[in-house]
Amino acid sequence: QEFQFGPCRVEGVVLQELWEAFSAMKDIQAKDNITSVRLLRKEVLQNVSDAESCYLIRALLKFYLTTVFKNYLDKAADSRIRKSFSTLANNFFVIVSKLQPSQENEMFSISESARRRFLLFQRAFKQLDIQAAQTKAFGEVDILLTWMEKFYQF
Amino acid sequence: LCISGGLPQPTNITFLSINMRNILQWSPPEGLQGAEVTYTVQYFIYGQKKWLNKSECRNINRTCCDLSLETSDYEHQYYAKVKAIWERNCSKWAETGRFYPFLETQIGPPRVALTTDEKSISIVLTAPEKWKRNPEDSSISMQQIYSNLKYNVSIYNTKSNRTWSQYVTNHTLVLSWLEPDTLYCVRVESFVPGPPRLAQPSDKQCVHTLKDQASALKVKI
Amino acid sequence: VAILPAPQNLSVQSTNMKHLLMWSPVIVPGEIIYYFVEYQGEYESLYMSHIWIPSSWCSPTEGPECDITDDVTATVPYNLRVRATVGAQTSAWSTLQHPFNRNSTVLTPPVMEVTKDGFHLVIKLEDLGPQFEFLVAYWRREPGAKEHVKVVKSRGIPVHLGTMEPGAAYCVKVRTFVKAIGRHSPFSQAECVKVQGETLPLTL
Repeated sequence: QEFQFGPCRVEGVVLQELWEAFSAMKDIQAKDNITSVRLLRKEVLQNVSDAESCYLIRALLKFYLTTVFKNYLDKAADSRIRKSFSTLANNFFVIVSKLQPSQENEMFSISESARRRFLLFQRAFKQLDIQAAQTKAFGEVDILLTWMEKFYQF
Repeated sequence: LCISGGLPQPTNITFLSINMRNILQWSPPEGLQGAEVTYTVQYFIYGQKKWLNKSECRNINRTCCDLSLETSDYEHQYYAKVKAIWERNCSKWAETGRFYPFLETQIGPPRVALTTDEKSISIVLTAPEKWKRNPEDSSISMQQIYSNLKYNVSIYNTKSNRTWSQYVTNHTLVLSWLEPDTLYCVRVESFVPGPPRLAQPSDKQCVHTLKDQASALKVKI
Repeated sequence: VAILPAPQNLSVQSTNMKHLLMWSPVIVPGEIIYYFVEYQGEYESLYMSHIWIPSSWCSPTEGPECDITDDVTATVPYNLRVRATVGAQTSAWSTLQHPFNRNSTVLTPPVMEVTKDGFHLVIKLEDLGPQFEFLVAYWRREPGAKEHVKVVKSRGIPVHLGTMEPGAAYCVKVRTFVKAIGRHSPFSQAECVKVQGETLPLTL
């Protein structure tokens, strides 16, 4: 029961808890009216190699922690959302703290590929109003978890 | 063209999805019993630009529409909407939430084949199949979509009135050392770890182990 | 007007991933005291320290304890605080001295029921919740017998372990494994069952 993002192994996070947290706040998707924009689109997550996955997941989760979740809680009055938010934020925090992608030179092209994917996501995020973007990114956690599940050993 | 908002909206609009067969269904608008109401459906792929028509579901009388083909890429997410039309009036669109087939489809039960001898039952499971447009199209097993698909096999001994279960990942299971001349009932449910998914158990199938030849011989002697 | 005292002696008792926050009750004669509990995970305390989240079951509660199991949903340190209210009066917050991390929970051997159905060894394990898996060891009771190990995830329903040979006795012991904290409980006591011998056909 652990994540294996290529060389990066992460224990102590139960994917079931993240799914339950998201299921409890799925109706946040109804607050996302910009249905013509999908942040985590196929070009970001499809055909990611194992080696690339560690770089990409780290960039995505750090962004969620520092930009998507931060300051969002001030607006999330609904306690159900606050609770789900806390579960996701703290578990993402655990994952990021345990990810140590290799910084060696021969991995440069792989990390660059992961960075280009992440930039696709980040650029789409920044083209929206910050609160709309946070709501959309929050609503797309099911897409993120579905992708993360591919690297989870049940 | 019709006067929009002249009718109440259809209600309870949801997707019923089993093995990626995705049926949009809804309830008629309230207060229009007896009226000859028809419906028109559109669908939308999240992240794209336009609502798309479903030609087979334009001005239909029934309150469901098969959108399996239009939503067959299960890694995409979708919306659908329906409006009611009666004479020159029509309702506003009633819209679903975001529908994610990969997460929300129910995994149907496997096909279960049982064969017995005196003291054993062999169970052969065939994984449920993804919906396909034409019967002659090549089949895709749900196992190919959900690689961690498992089966929860539960066995009920009608003589001892006891039930026990077993999780299996492969497709054959032999229950040996059973009691001869006994009726056993088997039920199998597909299970995919991860997000909470609805699952449908198979119908209960019962089979009799054969009489024990040795006992029959003893009786003769 | 006397200031309402804050609750004292906060502590957490955690067993098998059930976490109970407790404190000394605030006494005001003739009054019912209500308590509000809030929590903050490591993320909130680092990135948004002003943010506290109301506990799921204790906003408010009457008794001097609160089940925070549903609130502690990550393996990180959690800050916890409590305050008392009576009428319009509200006490100061009292904060748990050391943050609580669920990896400190006490794990006890699980309760099990070992039965047989003919020649089939069956076990039923208590339902401790989705966090738990069970490591079941079973062996034939004879010198040098091989120990079989099975990971069981089903909870509260009879699960098939293995097939037994006629006339033999088999023993079972089990321990829990909690994936979220990567820890095992001690093994339970072994329980044994004996299988009836099969009546052999007459040899002519």
